Amino acid sequence: MGNMKIKVKSAGGIAKAKVQAKHEMLTYDAAKKKGKDANFITHIIGKVGDKVVYELSSSQFLAKDPLFKFEFKTDGLKDGDKLEMTWTDLSGATETDAKKIKGLK
Amino acid sequence: MDRRKFLGLGMVALALVPATSLHALDFRKEKPDTWTAQTVDDAIKALYGATATESKDITLKAPKVASNGGAIPVTIKTSIDAKTVAMFQDANPESAVAVWTVPEGGIVNYTTKIKMKKSGTITVIVEDKAGKLHSVKQTLEVALGGCEG
Repeated sequence: MGNMKIKVKSAGGIAKAKVQAKHEMLTYDAAKKKGKDANFITHIIGKVGDKVVYELSSSQFLAKDPLFKFEFKTDGLKDGDKLEMTWTDLSGATETDAKKIKGLK
Repeated sequence: MDRRKFLGLGMVALALVPATSLHALDFRKEKPDTWTAQTVDDAIKALYGATATESKDITLKAPKVASNGGAIPVTIKTSIDAKTVAMFQDANPESAVAVWTVPEGGIVNYTTKIKMKKSGTITVIVEDKAGKLHSVKQTLEVALGGCEG
């Protein structure tokens, strides 16, 4: 926990989210030079309750500590609902972090 | 070890990892060839099996000149009722960068930061609900390569 920085704010039926995951995002080339195994986030998913609001399959070419900005509709959501982000990397490790969506009624 | 083989092994290892129920649609498992394709065209073919037509309905925002190739901000927006959005570039050893699965009723307004080794062209493909592909391209200069070599 605490691996991700999540900011999510709702206004006018749309929530804007900004997520930064802390990850080295080591490419195959860079890993070879450092004598380590390549490792990078391969999949990230954002959910509110059971509803998927964001989903990305990614390669090694996302920047280090990658940033994800996106928007989603907030109809049906209520105060106290949280945005839950989960990533999986090439080694199979996963991290989940959640944050309350601001501005919901 | 030969790099190609190494990549292949990685894919096999990935396939052996038990699928968690978390993954609605993981394109790395669904379309493994996409991620090893070395040209943009090959990657698009591996992912969608079709070619795209250029569209004015997609906005791709990236700097014309990126001072740091390690973190190039890219924003994709579209008014098309999209099913998936994919991003490719031709500067790195493999071309696929990311594939988004657009949730039902989702808004396509995605920003992320990517790495590019040298100057090149970013290609974005938007697949609409009917399965038709729309594309947009932008060429940019990279002052300092971002793959640490």
